[in-house]
Parts: sequence; C-alpha cells; structure tokens
Amino acid sequence: MVSFNSGGEAGKKMKISASFWWLYPSVFFLLALIFALTTSQYLAYLATSWAVFGLLAFSLDIIWGKGGDLSLGQTVFFGVGAYTYGIVAINLAPVLGNSLLLAVLFGGLSGVLVSGIIGYFIYYGRLGPLQTTIITYTMVLIMATVAISTSFELGSARVGGANGMTGIPPLTIDILGFNSLTRHGALVATLTIIFIVTLVVVAVLKKPFGLVIDGIRQDVLKTELLGYDVRKYRLALFTIAGCVAGVAGGLYSSWAAYVSPSIFAVTQALLIPIYVLVGGRGSLYGGFLGALFIGWLTFWLGGGVAGGQTTLILGAILILLVLFVPKGASGLINSIIGKTMRKTHAPINEESIAPDLEKLNYFLEEPEEKKVILETKGLNKKFGGVVATDNVNMSFYNKGIHCLIGPNGAGKSTYLNTCIGVIKPDSGYIVFKDEKIEKLEPCQRVQLGMGIKLQVAKVLEEKTVWDNLWLSSYSKIKNKEEANDIVMSVSDIIGLRHKLYVNAEELSHGEQQWLDIGMVLSLKPEIIFLDEPAAGMTKIERDRTVNILHILSKFVGVVVVEHDMDFIRALESPVTVLHQGAVFTSGSIEELRQNPEVLDIYLGRQKDA
Amino acid sequence: MIKGENKKEQSMDFAQITFTGLTTLSSISILLIATLGLAVIFGMMGVINLAHGEFIMLGAFVTLFSTQAGVPFVLSLGLSFVALAIYGAVIEYIIIRHLYGRLFDTLLATWGIGLVMYQGAILLFGSYTSGIGLPAGTIGIGKYTMSSYFGILILVSVILTATVYLIFVKTKYGVMSRAAIQNPQMAGSIGIPTKKINTITFSFGSGLAGLAGGLLVPAFPATPDMGVAFVSKAFLAVVTAGPMIISGAVTTLIGVGGVSSISGIIFTSVIGDVVFFTITILILRFFPTGVSGGWHGKL
Repeated sequence: MVSFNSGGEAGKKMKISASFWWLYPSVFFLLALIFALTTSQYLAYLATSWAVFGLLAFSLDIIWGKGGDLSLGQTVFFGVGAYTYGIVAINLAPVLGNSLLLAVLFGGLSGVLVSGIIGYFIYYGRLGPLQTTIITYTMVLIMATVAISTSFELGSARVGGANGMTGIPPLTIDILGFNSLTRHGALVATLTIIFIVTLVVVAVLKKPFGLVIDGIRQDVLKTELLGYDVRKYRLALFTIAGCVAGVAGGLYSSWAAYVSPSIFAVTQALLIPIYVLVGGRGSLYGGFLGALFIGWLTFWLGGGVAGGQTTLILGAILILLVLFVPKGASGLINSIIGKTMRKTHAPINEESIAPDLEKLNYFLEEPEEKKVILETKGLNKKFGGVVATDNVNMSFYNKGIHCLIGPNGAGKSTYLNTCIGVIKPDSGYIVFKDEKIEKLEPCQRVQLGMGIKLQVAKVLEEKTVWDNLWLSSYSKIKNKEEANDIVMSVSDIIGLRHKLYVNAEELSHGEQQWLDIGMVLSLKPEIIFLDEPAAGMTKIERDRTVNILHILSKFVGVVVVEHDMDFIRALESPVTVLHQGAVFTSGSIEELRQNPEVLDIYLGRQKDA
Repeated sequence: MIKGENKKEQSMDFAQITFTGLTTLSSISILLIATLGLAVIFGMMGVINLAHGEFIMLGAFVTLFSTQAGVPFVLSLGLSFVALAIYGAVIEYIIIRHLYGRLFDTLLATWGIGLVMYQGAILLFGSYTSGIGLPAGTIGIGKYTMSSYFGILILVSVILTATVYLIFVKTKYGVMSRAAIQNPQMAGSIGIPTKKINTITFSFGSGLAGLAGGLLVPAFPATPDMGVAFVSKAFLAVVTAGPMIISGAVTTLIGVGGVSSISGIIFTSVIGDVVFFTITILILRFFPTGVSGGWHGKL
C-alpha cells in the first residue's frame, strides 16, 4: 500500500513537471531579452551570431540527443538555408519590405528539402549509426567543393563560387514601421524567432511523437515491433532538425550580410558538436549554453573564429570533452540532481503484487470460431551456405497454444523472426488473415494483429513502466484516452500497477519480463509469438507464466519456442519439432517422447548407431 | 585519301579510349591506395578514423622531407609507413582505447585529432606546396602522354591490396584480429589479447595511410589539406563495402569510382564527387548490408 502511494506521488510530480515544459525556454528567453536590451551595440551584434549558432546546435541535439543519430552535416542544411535566404531576400526583400518571414520560411523550407532527401535514403535504407554519421560527414566535404565551384545568377542575386554571395539584406519587419532593424532590434527579432522555433519543436517532441522517438533512441527494433513505422518517425525527426538548421542559416546570412563556401568548411562543422557537448547532449537547450559559452570565450580571448590557432584549440577541446566530460555541463548537473531524486523515487516497500490474470477475461475478446490465422507456405531462408529455414509449411490458429521445439540451431528463432518480418524470406509465402504479408515491414504486420516477445526482455530502460505500456497501447488505436485505460488494465494484469512511475531499469529481471509481456498484450494482438518465455525464470514465475498462457490462449493464438520440456508439458499443446531448418515431425509431447528419431536429433545420435 | 583520314580518326579514337581507360584505372588505384588503411581499421575494429586524411597528409610530408634530405624515394616510403605506424599506436594508446564501445565519441575524437593535425601542419609547414618530381618517365598513347608513375601506382595498388588481404587471411595476427572483431568476448575468453590486437590494427592502418601519403606525394603536392581530396570517397567506399571489407571496398572503388572518374573527366571533378556520393547512397538504400552483403568469403 505504501509503495502504491509513493508511486502515485511520483506520478503527480511528473505530470506537473510535464505541464510546465514551456517554463525553461521562457525564462531563458526573458533573460536573453533583458541582456539584449541593456548590452552595448557591438556585443548585441556578436550575441546575435551566438544565438544563431545556439539554434544550430539545438538542431543537432534534436537528432543526436533525442534521436540517437550523430549528424555531422547540420552545417549543410544551415549553409543551404543561408544561401537560399540570400537569393530570395536579394530578389524579394525590396519588394516585400519584410525579410524576417523570408528568413524563417525559405531557410526552413530549404532545410526540410535537403534533409528530407538525405534522410529518406538514410532511414528507408535502414542504415546503421556509423553509416549515417559518415554519410552526413561526406555531405559536408562534398558541399564544400560544390559551393566553391558553383556560380550562377538568379534575378539580382549572384552566387559567385569561392567569392560567395554579397549584399544580403538584413532583417526587416515592415508591419512595425521599421525599415531596417538596429543591431539591438535584430538581436531581439532573432531571439524571438529562436524562442518560437524552440517552443514549437519542444511541443512536437512531447507525447506521443516524442515518446516514440525516445523508444527509437533506446531500442529501434523494439519500437518497430510495437507497430511504429520507425523509418517514418526517424525521417520526420531528421527533417525537423534540418528545418531548424535551415532557419538558423537564414538568420545567419541576414546577420552576416554575406555567405561564402567557408560555411561548409569542416572547421565550421566541427563547432556544432562541440557546442552540444559543452552544453550537454540530450538536454536540447544545452546547445544554446554551449554556443554562448564558446562564443563568449573566443570573444574574451580576443580571437575571431577564423583566427589561426582556434581550430587547434577547438580540436583539442573536442578530444578532451569526449574523453573526460562526455555528458557536458547539463549532464553533470543532471547526474548530481538525478542521484538525489532517485533516492526519493525508490519504492520503499518491495512487496510483490501477484498478477491479476482474471482481468484478462475482460481485457481481450474471444474469437467466435477457431480457425487458421497464420500460414507459411514453402518458406525458405539461407544465411551464406547455412539453410536456416527449409521449405517450412505450417499453420497456426487464432486461439490455443502451439509449441516449437528443436535442438540449438534448428531454425526456431529464424522462423519466428521471418513470420514477424525482421528477416525477409528468400522464397515462400506468409499468409495472415487471408493476406500475403511476406513483403510487409514488421511494424505493418504488428498493425495487422501480430505480436512478438523476443528472447531477451526488451523494455525501454530510461522510461517509466507507464510510458513503456502507453507506447504500445497507443500504437494501434492512436487515441490517448483509450491508451490510458489500456495501461491501467494491463498494469493490473501483469501486477505492476504499484510501479507505474518507476523507471524500467529499476525493475527486477522477472518484472522486466512481465513488463515485456504486458507491452505485447497492450497491442491486443490476435497471435503472439513468445521466444523462450520461461528462460531464466524461477519455478514460481514459470508456473505463473504457464497460467497466463493458458488464459491468454482462450483469446489469441500463442506460438511458443522453448527448450524447457517441463514447461512445454505443462502447456499441454500440440508440438512441432524443427530440425536443420525443416519441419521434422508434429504431435503431442507424450507422442514425441516415444519417438526414437526425435530423441536421436536431440541427443545428436547418428541414425545408424 | 578520305579512307586514310577515317583510319587516322579511328586510331585517335582508340588512343582516346585507351587514355581514358588508363586515367580511370589510375584514379581508381589512387583511391584504393588511399582507402586501404581506413578499411583495415574499420574492418578489424569497427571504427572509422575521421583523421585518416590527415594521416595521409603526414605520411606525405615524411616522404617529402626525407627525399629532400637525400633518402631514396623507396626508402622514404618505408619511413612514412613506420613513422605513421608508431604515431597511430601512440594515438590509439592515449585516446582511442579509452573510447571503445562508444562509437560516436570515437568518431568525434578522431575528428578532433584530424583538425589538430591539420592546423598543426599549417603552423609547422605553412601552406607548403612543394612536391617531388615524378620518379619515372612517361607513357605515350597516340597524342596523349601520361606519367608512367601512374602506371606504377596501378601495379602498386594491386600488390598492396593483395598483401593486406593475405596478411588478414593467412597470418596468425590476421586470424586473431578477425576473431576479435566478430566476437570480442569470445576471442578474449579463448586467450586472444584483444587490446593488443586493436593497438596493432590501428597502428597498421595508420602505417598504410602514411604509405599512401608517400606514394601520392609525387603526383599530388603535399599540402595540409591534401588528404581531403581522397577521404570522402574512401569513407563512402568503406561504409558501402559491407562485411567483406577488402573485397567490398575494392568492388565499390572499381565500380562507383570508375563511373565517378569518367564523369569527372567528361564534366568536372566536383561532378565526379557528387556522382560518387549519389551512387553510394543509392546502393545503400537498396543493399543496406553493403555490396558484399550476400557474398561468401573471408575478407
């Protein structure tokens, strides 16, 4: 009871802090405004560029800190935004008399366009983290040479290769009667735009989008198996980051009145991760602090960014940061606060609450008639010379349990992964609810009604039990209120109601397994694959799992891969034996125990022996 | 009369084709030489050395200065290899080994190293542009001539690639290092000194970068930013190669590098770069495991 209360209070605290998400940026914005209105003209001019680079660093932290992908190419979107604003503003600013909107609009649009194209190839090609970083980095190297050798005229704008583009109009706002803004005015206008952009991004990064992104950062595969099209979400995040970088570029060229290919220089690109690392990766606002600090430092040291030794010093700073303070300033602060916070969060009473399996009866609906829901026909998969799946024809029902057994390397996990779509078969069909699905992505199959619990418990460790369950509940219904209801029901079913606001990493091994099962249940699937659900469980936990599977199988088809023969016998279900990728035989566990050939393959005996 | 002229034109066309072919082949071989060290480090350690271009640059300066001091060119090449191998071992020991398992941190640290080296080179050598004369004569094809050194480079690239391949397939060190990358824990528990192997691999890859710099300095003047011209293609080739890193990278460089080089000859070298980038990103979109994804082989 005590622990339930403490969980509830922690939850309230979290909800309060979540509804004041706009507080931090607003306070920063006010402080910056006070500074902007009181400082000298020269410092106001310099500070404008620090703020712009802060926004660029913010864009990197969106994709790196939030999304988990290091993009070294943010300056490409930034530079393209700067050039685009220059070309558009030179032509249109005299006519419109309002260049502020142009900077935001065209800077942002060009950033969206370029990052959208690059991001499409990165995420729809499902590239790894290293490939992503290298692609974005080579993009910088190539843009630098392209910009130097490209010259053309568009209207009155002239892009002059290595000479860059001059005569870019500063920020102007016509509506307020300003023709051209003073340096203080430009700083205020820039800060305002940055404030708005930041607020919009932070609002977008709230639930549910932000939670999906959090899931992707921690475990791409798990998030996909919860039914989210991770390619789409990652591309969206990359494009948002590109858009913000483009807006920053527009603001930059209005400040500098001049853009040259040096904007794509490697030395320029290097600054952005430094800003983020100084401020603290993952904090989003940290980038502003980093840019401000480094900007002020170079100003205080008296050297311009182009100064001789700056690159040397910054390169060394980067190495030292990575080696000694990888989490940056805000990371240090957070880890200190986090330690004291966690103590108050920790559940006082460790009593375990038994799962309330009866609730399953209300949670799921019983299918009207028992029929085949999933069928594989002539399924084949080879890895190099190894035949992992050999012409497998099998069918599964929409209720009842079906066990798959076989010695190590029999192809059980490969078969499950092919059914759910993580592995694409070389040939053969998979039919689910009368639809051929072998070409569909895993997330699409989950949306159709499949669910899988992988061998190792996969939960989002940095997130609370509530968030874990909510992420999977929301996946199919896309309705926040209904998702809340599902979370409450499922948390009762798996006996974790009292730990809803505890981070998943603080759960015990068994509790994480239950949470994982709970996440699959929240999807309300019609067929569930369980890869070794009893692995590493105590006898009590195993009996409990047998119990839940029996109840579950009244409502959905359950396919279990397991080595534990006692467990399989307790399930009292039909069993199929896989051997060297092919179906060897089927029957009840008692029949199979009498079958000498099955014993042979399990014990590795030769047939003629 | 007309017939004769036709014949002459045709033979000129033939010369042009041969010349274009040789130029393409030599630019592929130059890329291959510049990529090998990177491929070794990536293939055996799973990290990309973003300072690779600067390692090449340093190797070029070592060869440049030692030949200017009177050391024979071939010996200078050896010096470049040894100097950079030692340098790489030191870098691995004081920086890289503390970052294993932290992919992005490793990338950023090597990036920092590269920029420190670049700026350091500017401070030490100025924007030095002196090269050394091409060591061999010229080959004439019709009215075209090219330095026979480029022909030598083609040969060298083949020998070098074969040597690296054999080292990793045949020697004890090679087998151990391939085991270390495939399953570090398993390799460690059967007594393979993975830390030591990593130091050796990084050192060997750095040495190859140094050797590349030395080999390139007769053809490209030594400047602090000379590495940049090769690295973007080298990086792309390595991430496109797939699991069989050497054969995959060679295939990418011959295929994509060939197309990019030809479009570079027809248009400009910048277009060649863009073509290279575009093709590799297309390959990765449709073959995410890289060009060697479905191959059976060792390296």
